Amino acid sequence: MPDLDTGHIFLTTLAPIKPYTKSDKSPTSFEQKVRVALAKLPTALQSPATVNAPRNSPFARNKRNHLARMFVLSDVVYNGRVGQNPIVGTIKGEDPIDPQKVDRLTTPYLVFCADIDAITKDGDPLPTSLSPAQQKEVRAAYARELWQTMESELRAIYSNCVGFDEVDSADRFAAYLDKCHVETTMPFHDYYLKLPRFHDLPFKGLIAAVAVPAVIAILALAARILGCLTVPVLGWSTLWTAVAAAAVTGLSFLLAVRFALANGARPLAPGEFDDLPSVLKALYVQQKFSDFFVEQQGASADDLYREFGAFLERTRLGDRSGPTQEPGVIRSP
Amino acid sequence: MTATLDLADIQGNIPRAYGRYSFPFARYFFLNIADAAKGRAFVDAVRRQVTTAARWPENAQKPACTVNIAFTFMGLLKLELPTRTLQGMPDEFIEGMKARAFILGDRDVTKTAEQDADWDRHWDPIWRRNRVGGDDSDNVHIWISLNAQLKQLGLAEPVDALEEKTEWLRDLCAASDGGVRILSGIGRDGTQDFQAASAVFDDFDGQKLPTAMEHLGFADGIGDPVFEGQLRPSEMATAVIGRGKREDGEWKPLAAGEFLLGHSDESQELPPTAMPPEFMKNGSFMAFRKLHENVATFDEVLEEETSRYGSVMGVSATEARETLRAKMCGRWKDGVPLATVPTYPEWQDFRKDRGFDDPNPAKALENQLKFIRSTEASDFRYADDMEGFKCPVGAHLRRMSTRDYLDPLNKIGTDPKTGKPYKNAAATSQLNKRRRILRRGLPYGPSNLEQKSDETEQGVAMMLVCASLFRQFEFVQQHWIQYGLDFHQGNNTCPLLGDHSHHKRHTIPSDPVSEKPPYVMSKLKTFVECRGGDYFFIPSLTALRMIAMGVVDPT
Repeated sequence: MPDLDTGHIFLTTLAPIKPYTKSDKSPTSFEQKVRVALAKLPTALQSPATVNAPRNSPFARNKRNHLARMFVLSDVVYNGRVGQNPIVGTIKGEDPIDPQKVDRLTTPYLVFCADIDAITKDGDPLPTSLSPAQQKEVRAAYARELWQTMESELRAIYSNCVGFDEVDSADRFAAYLDKCHVETTMPFHDYYLKLPRFHDLPFKGLIAAVAVPAVIAILALAARILGCLTVPVLGWSTLWTAVAAAAVTGLSFLLAVRFALANGARPLAPGEFDDLPSVLKALYVQQKFSDFFVEQQGASADDLYREFGAFLERTRLGDRSGPTQEPGVIRSP
Repeated sequence: MTATLDLADIQGNIPRAYGRYSFPFARYFFLNIADAAKGRAFVDAVRRQVTTAARWPENAQKPACTVNIAFTFMGLLKLELPTRTLQGMPDEFIEGMKARAFILGDRDVTKTAEQDADWDRHWDPIWRRNRVGGDDSDNVHIWISLNAQLKQLGLAEPVDALEEKTEWLRDLCAASDGGVRILSGIGRDGTQDFQAASAVFDDFDGQKLPTAMEHLGFADGIGDPVFEGQLRPSEMATAVIGRGKREDGEWKPLAAGEFLLGHSDESQELPPTAMPPEFMKNGSFMAFRKLHENVATFDEVLEEETSRYGSVMGVSATEARETLRAKMCGRWKDGVPLATVPTYPEWQDFRKDRGFDDPNPAKALENQLKFIRSTEASDFRYADDMEGFKCPVGAHLRRMSTRDYLDPLNKIGTDPKTGKPYKNAAATSQLNKRRRILRRGLPYGPSNLEQKSDETEQGVAMMLVCASLFRQFEFVQQHWIQYGLDFHQGNNTCPLLGDHSHHKRHTIPSDPVSEKPPYVMSKLKTFVECRGGDYFFIPSLTALRMIAMGVVDPT
């Protein structure tokens, strides 16, 4: 389940953008309208040009998304003809002058990706694993949170997409976004304090499970060819032993492949302090503690003890709700 | 494979830092071309005098005064190079240094262009007028450098040839009848028409001897990179130690293509080239930067931190001052690396051993210079000090050349077997070897270390030579000087060269064995500020001939 990893959902949704029809009065295509709506979306306050801007990114209005991104995917990029060995091509009778099929998207898409805490309610702990139904509920909860905090922006963007006309509530937006959902295959995680235990593949065991019956099958077959009709001591037919061992080899190979795939799909456990409120609190404490350290250099032990007590009281280390760094800004006040 | 270079086709300032070859004086001229044909005639006259990299004395005679020439993009445009050639030039060179101020940290990165329209107000007038659009008569087109030997040992005076060459240059311009003109506007008041530079001299009872110091009082220009074909094979084996790249536990020269166009580089590719390839081969790019040093501010900040550091660490003011200076730079003021001599008492012993404190000051200077030129001054690494207990990770030296510090396989922490930091003996300099830069240039300002203020003119006239200004110079300037993430320093900038208008800290880790806490310098101010400059192309002798003939692309 690559959507879920380390207690985060790596959400990817693709919403098809409406085609232009003769009944549309505006001279602007819907793809262009989506781009305009995205261009008007305020960015986070994290660059010289935006740090004093009056409006923050609407995604900063909730404390679940670590990262959010929207863009228009007009079409797939054509990479040129598929190369082929000329000898193979000649044998197959392919003429290099004939045009090949060019892959295209049937419509442009609005892509929305987000890296979010896999929780349904603010303050919940990050989960280790979730069933597909639970993941769906997490996505729906996030969609509802977005609707409640940035409905007008979502309307401005998604009203140019196919099937959005019916959406008029948080629940309907959640259902709509779920229809647009595609599985993420490459999640990325960057908060490790210490690396988790990865689900290493037991290579030796898997190879042994396949190789042992395979060797038995080959030996039994070789014995049969050399005229030995039964397995010494056991007295089994070498032919049937070879057949049975070959069957076990095939079966264990299939099981090993399925095991490897399932092993790869298992989500990693969440890292410590991986949820957004903890990350924001950590950023806050990091800034305040380095100030504190600089100010206290050379202080006497008594002063340091007293000041550190005051520091702990001020910063409330265990309290993720505050004081903390606000989302979407570059530094704590 | 070892490259053999056609040294007679390469300009001499690329492989040679003239200052180290006993040329302690320089004059840098900046010229404007008004007329293309006269400009080409001027180039033709100059190229016959250009000092090449041909070896002294076996292939050429050592001149009393060297001549080198380079061009800005606007200069090449003015000389009517073919469009095809100009289009092949790298973007950053076409844009010039001013347009890259945001990347280089020359402009306040917390302000937008509108909020900081007058960001270059402290630049010399010549550079303020350069590339402002519209009128081309103020643009810098050509850079010419003259480097001169000493007139006589013991005197801080250049040979007469320096003045003669200056006159020759003025005469050439006069003869061009307005076609080529030496631009004035150098210095705070803009009165000079060349940038003078000279080594800092020490006075020994009237005997003046050139030192390796710059005006903040650090020995400079020690660990320049070494590349294939640069030196005689007999010199290479020792020169490469600590100055090349580290592979399989050995030091090897860098690929020539890191500094010379038309040769394969460290990615085993030819750097991109403008057409025709002969035009760029054996050439290089150079950033000229006039770096002013705020000596008074530096001394003030250092004094304030000294008293605090002294009381926190319980050491004398002298030890505190010298240690802080070394921990900012990465070397003690005499050039001894912190990586090999990490503590003040060890440094004092080292100085005594090497005779740096010889009662005869001239002898002491000689001993120091001998050390600076030995392999010992460069033969050190950082992967055995990942936490910076000896040399702080954010120190100037570690930022400029990261050596083997950035090998991702390096282990951080204490080796349980030895109880000491991991040695990381197999660490390589893979992530460093594509960011090396040749430093050419000399200090400018008074030729002694007497009292200076922020307002007096002193600093270093730097020429940073590399095959790609973008990949090498700009990367180091942006990521390693003006930012600290590769060193786990967050936004902290280089303690010496960084802009400290917003980030004023430099962390000095302490070896836990000492039971001392780390120390954070927290009141840094901007000590070194750019006073202008631009990007230049240093053509080969072949390319100079092509420019002069006006036939760069015969096809």
